[in-house]
Amino acid sequence: MAYTYSKIATYTVGSGGIASIDFLNIPQIYTDLVIKYSIRTTSANQVDYMKCEFNGSTTSYSERVLFGYGTTTGSATNSGSYDNIIDGGANTASTFANGEIYIPNYTGANYKSFSSDSVAESNSTTNNMLMLAAELWSNTSPITSIKLSDYSSGNFAQYSTAHLYGIKAEL
Amino acid sequence: MGSISLKTKSKSNNLTAPGDVDLGAMIPLMTTTLGTATASVTFSSIPQNYSHLQVRIWGYNTSGSDRTLYLQLNSDSGSNYRNHWLSGNGSAASAGADSAATTGILPLNANSSQTGFNGDSTKASVVIMDILDYKDTNKYTTVRTLGGWEGNGTGYAYFASGLWMNTAAVSTLYFQLPYSTNFGSGTTFALYGIKTAGA
Repeated sequence: MAYTYSKIATYTVGSGGIASIDFLNIPQIYTDLVIKYSIRTTSANQVDYMKCEFNGSTTSYSERVLFGYGTTTGSATNSGSYDNIIDGGANTASTFANGEIYIPNYTGANYKSFSSDSVAESNSTTNNMLMLAAELWSNTSPITSIKLSDYSSGNFAQYSTAHLYGIKAEL
Repeated sequence: MGSISLKTKSKSNNLTAPGDVDLGAMIPLMTTTLGTATASVTFSSIPQNYSHLQVRIWGYNTSGSDRTLYLQLNSDSGSNYRNHWLSGNGSAASAGADSAATTGILPLNANSSQTGFNGDSTKASVVIMDILDYKDTNKYTTVRTLGGWEGNGTGYAYFASGLWMNTAAVSTLYFQLPYSTNFGSGTTFALYGIKTAGA
């Protein structure tokens, strides 16, 4: 198991923040991709949403989610790929979201189904969110690049990180 | 002297030589399988040369009842922990948090009662816990946990989030259960380190 899990790229946001994290020229030698992220924005929001877009495309995304927000639970469907949760700049200081996006069969010719589970934490009973998402990019192209950005067009804060891994089904 | 490298090339995953050994990015660090009922499990002196940690747990408690799994980081006994959850019990979903920061422990529960870690050896709980950027001293530590148990008539699936409000690098993970409950014999805790690119 372990040796099928390979590190591809890591990005750490420097001082001043950055509008997006882009993984380019993704190797086409793996079966699946995994992104692990620890991200906070500089926005005035408590909780933000992060878009995950492929190959420079901003269209043909949809998603279905299950979430908890304070004591509220719910399920929703959206046109987009933004239900990857991150902490906003107004949330408890030094708190960063913890999330994972799993993208199976990214080199295949099928539409790209992927999943996300993410949490935004806070020192309160309400300003948090937990999200499980099933997402779809209705495009048959192999994924060669991934762009992560704040849905509200804010910046990712300093010390935010995103890590890209490749997974091989067999050797 | 030059180094000799190996690579797993066969379909059966047997090592063959010569080639390159590539252990990958996910490395097993420590595993504990309890031989007898035990009150707590500790991973200490956690190596600081990975990016992330993952803990995988299979097990049950000896109380005969459901219990919340508790986690303490770096022996911190202060009121520095916050928990949130999203869960389902087969008929309804719920979300929430303890009303205030908890002291000394991070409860990884499935609701406001003591739930999440089953008390039946035949219907064990499964927990996967991700701790990202665990040695980053610029941020508090957020723990993301997916877990649950199916009791053939009862049970929970839960997604828990925990915050440790401390910027120290995580070096110790301490697991226990409330009400002086023990982990049952055979319960297994496995700790993995996940490397970052360039490591």
